Amino acid sequence: MSKVVGIDLGTTNSLVAYVKDGAPFVIRDQSGDGLVPSIVSAAPDGTIYVGREAQRRLLTDPRRTVYSVKRFMGKGIDDVQGDAKLLPFQVSGEPGGVVRIGLGDREFTPPEVSAFVLRELKRRAEEHLAEQGEFDNEVDRAVITVPAYFNDAQRTATRDAGRIAGLEVLRIINEPTAAALAYGLDKKNQGVIAVYDFGGGTFDISILRVEDGVFQVLSTNGDTHLGGDDIDLLIVERILADLASPTPQHALPEGFSAQHTPESIQEIRKAVIQAKWDLSELDDTDLLGVRLTRAAFEAMIRPVIDRTLAPCRRALTDASLQASDVDEVVLVGGSTRMPLVRRLVGELFGRTPHSELNPDEVVAVGAALQADILVTGNREMLLLDVTPLSLGIETMGGVVSKIILRNSTIPATGSEMFTTGVDNQTAVDIHVLQGERELVGDNRSLARFRLRGIPPMPAGMPRVQVQFQIDANGILSVTASELRTNVEQTIEVKPSYGLTDDQVEQMLIDSFEHAEADFAARMLIEARNEAESVIIATEKTLRSPEFPSIAAEELTEAEQKRIVQALAGLKHVIKSDSRDSIIQWTTVLNEATKHLAEVAMNRSVRAALTGKNVDTV
Amino acid sequence: MTSQTHTHLLQECRTCGGRAPVDVHFCPSCTKILTIGRQGDYFSFLGLPRKLNLDVAAVEQQFRVLSRQFHPDYFYNATPTERRASLERSSYLNDAYRTLKQPASRVAYLLDVEGVLKPADHEAGKLAPASLLEEVFALNEELDEVRDMRTGGAPDAEWRARLAAAAAPIEAKRAEHEAQLGELSNQWDALPSGDQTARTAVLGALRERVLERNYINNLLATIERETTGAVGPQL
Repeated sequence: MSKVVGIDLGTTNSLVAYVKDGAPFVIRDQSGDGLVPSIVSAAPDGTIYVGREAQRRLLTDPRRTVYSVKRFMGKGIDDVQGDAKLLPFQVSGEPGGVVRIGLGDREFTPPEVSAFVLRELKRRAEEHLAEQGEFDNEVDRAVITVPAYFNDAQRTATRDAGRIAGLEVLRIINEPTAAALAYGLDKKNQGVIAVYDFGGGTFDISILRVEDGVFQVLSTNGDTHLGGDDIDLLIVERILADLASPTPQHALPEGFSAQHTPESIQEIRKAVIQAKWDLSELDDTDLLGVRLTRAAFEAMIRPVIDRTLAPCRRALTDASLQASDVDEVVLVGGSTRMPLVRRLVGELFGRTPHSELNPDEVVAVGAALQADILVTGNREMLLLDVTPLSLGIETMGGVVSKIILRNSTIPATGSEMFTTGVDNQTAVDIHVLQGERELVGDNRSLARFRLRGIPPMPAGMPRVQVQFQIDANGILSVTASELRTNVEQTIEVKPSYGLTDDQVEQMLIDSFEHAEADFAARMLIEARNEAESVIIATEKTLRSPEFPSIAAEELTEAEQKRIVQALAGLKHVIKSDSRDSIIQWTTVLNEATKHLAEVAMNRSVRAALTGKNVDTV
Repeated sequence: MTSQTHTHLLQECRTCGGRAPVDVHFCPSCTKILTIGRQGDYFSFLGLPRKLNLDVAAVEQQFRVLSRQFHPDYFYNATPTERRASLERSSYLNDAYRTLKQPASRVAYLLDVEGVLKPADHEAGKLAPASLLEEVFALNEELDEVRDMRTGGAPDAEWRARLAAAAAPIEAKRAEHEAQLGELSNQWDALPSGDQTARTAVLGALRERVLERNYINNLLATIERETTGAVGPQL
């Protein structure tokens, strides 16, 4: 039986986890790293790189490298102009249509870019399961998490990304809820939990009541455009302003200009992120030649952190609770490592927040648990989530009439009666919106429907009942019927910022065509990793204190020369994109150092034995 | 329609075609979850009496028990019919719980299922009930004056005090209505189910109080908007 996994598809990093015999595991690479940077890069030959390799290419080839794509999911070009400003890659799109992202020489929609990341996670999981000796290691089903405050278009875009990556998306679940599930695993907690989830690009707060194993979300609030990215951006902009001044204090590394080139911006961004990490542990650090204290850093970022507190208060109000009613506070997301965040959240709720579980991994673990619940029918725990935003339709005068209120437990239904305004009218246009504001223009347009096939009747006679259903994924579907005649209506759904089923299907087909190139990319990375480890081992031996005596006593001059040549040769080709050359030169270096390795090994064994003799005498 | 009558009604099991009483959630013949077709009302669905004073903890408990029986999570591997039934029954449960949990929506729902709400009542929040006309006129005049004060540049504290003063009698009116609603709710709960005349009388009184209370809430919301709306431009 094929396997199911839980996936945290993050703004900055993504993870995959699965459940084996009731226990969740995060899937890691050889070095123990579970995080796959949500970065995709296209080499000039069209090869696609994902994760760490793409992250490296962000510094060397930023124009062909895409990150933070989650911010564009389910968005139109008008929504993202502000974001696109400092990003090195091309963002375009027609007004009212889906955003398109330039990746190398091709253009992709955000779900397609996310699908590259998902495919990498799927591959990792399959490789891991094969290593575990699983007979059937195919991973074709997943639970994927989204920020609780994601709207219908963003959720649908995430589901589309899964489909394009060849995954059946069993369920879309909310990140803070997934985290609560992971925390509820070993403690049979009862009471009210607040989950504060501050990630790379999004902020969520969810208030849950846990009782009898039922995790019932009471309310949720947040900002899908507030995260660690905003802190980085704030400081990058300050440094750029400083560098542009007549007497700049910061210094860029050799070879970088103070101009706004994608390369220099990425270099500054990298330094800023490092400084941010440092200041979670240290009292001060160096940022491009300027000493930055934690206090000064916190003063700078305080406004960003403060923006998370108002949603927390709104969530409490919506749950009809006081801060003091909250029994436990759980921190999720990499940005909660900042001491200032911990302090302010602690003050708001009047208690020390939990951070026992790795804040980067807890969401993926929860997703894996939910995936396990779905396929095994295990009824120990149950998640009852809510819809974050009210759903409504446009009525006369551009006013929104709400049909399903925010924080309604899902699945939920709502219905509205429509009639005609003109005699023998057979169709009615309906505009569906999501949001809390009174006027149409201030809410998110989800879709426009045309109800057809209304039997011809005098104006005002037909009674068309439109049923809105929000499923357990928080995704909307619509059905309608004319009550006088019981005629079912045809509904054409045109998502305002989404993809049609046909488009998703075509993207899935396209992705197969490019699968070969993607496979080649992975083979190249593996060859490169192998070459790198041989280079490191050789250089280590060459630098060791014993090497001069080994060389003098045991190696011929020709052997020594071959080692040096082979090492130089491999170091040269490793930068190229030719997998064959890298493998050839790796073999050459392996051969050249074979004798040296044997001699060094013998010596260290002898030394160890000698040492033992001395000890035992 | 009263709760006694539905027990005679039947719903059809889409899995085996068998018949099941209304407000039974699983088919007595084949044990499969039933789709939502002909069902009773939110009260009977949750197994609760059609009363206005409900034990909220018991409602929540029942909600959790039924959620565990219906939720789509547990029907992932089931047939399409069962999956659809699970989605429908969960949605109906969530709607029922949300409605009956809060006293305000509970009483409105009771009036609806008892058939005392008229179609026009849903729009009634916009029409001033006769018994409140005096207060409404006074408030509108007051609001006009406050707007004039503000455009005339009166200090914040001054017009805010006027708004607070205008809200006070309406808040008192609301408290009065809430007390009356509480009293009527107790009467309703104590009525013997056979006494149709008394039931009609209590329902009629409840309807009147509910419509007035809704209107009062709208008035208070208007004052609230005047107060907070004025803060906007200064931020």
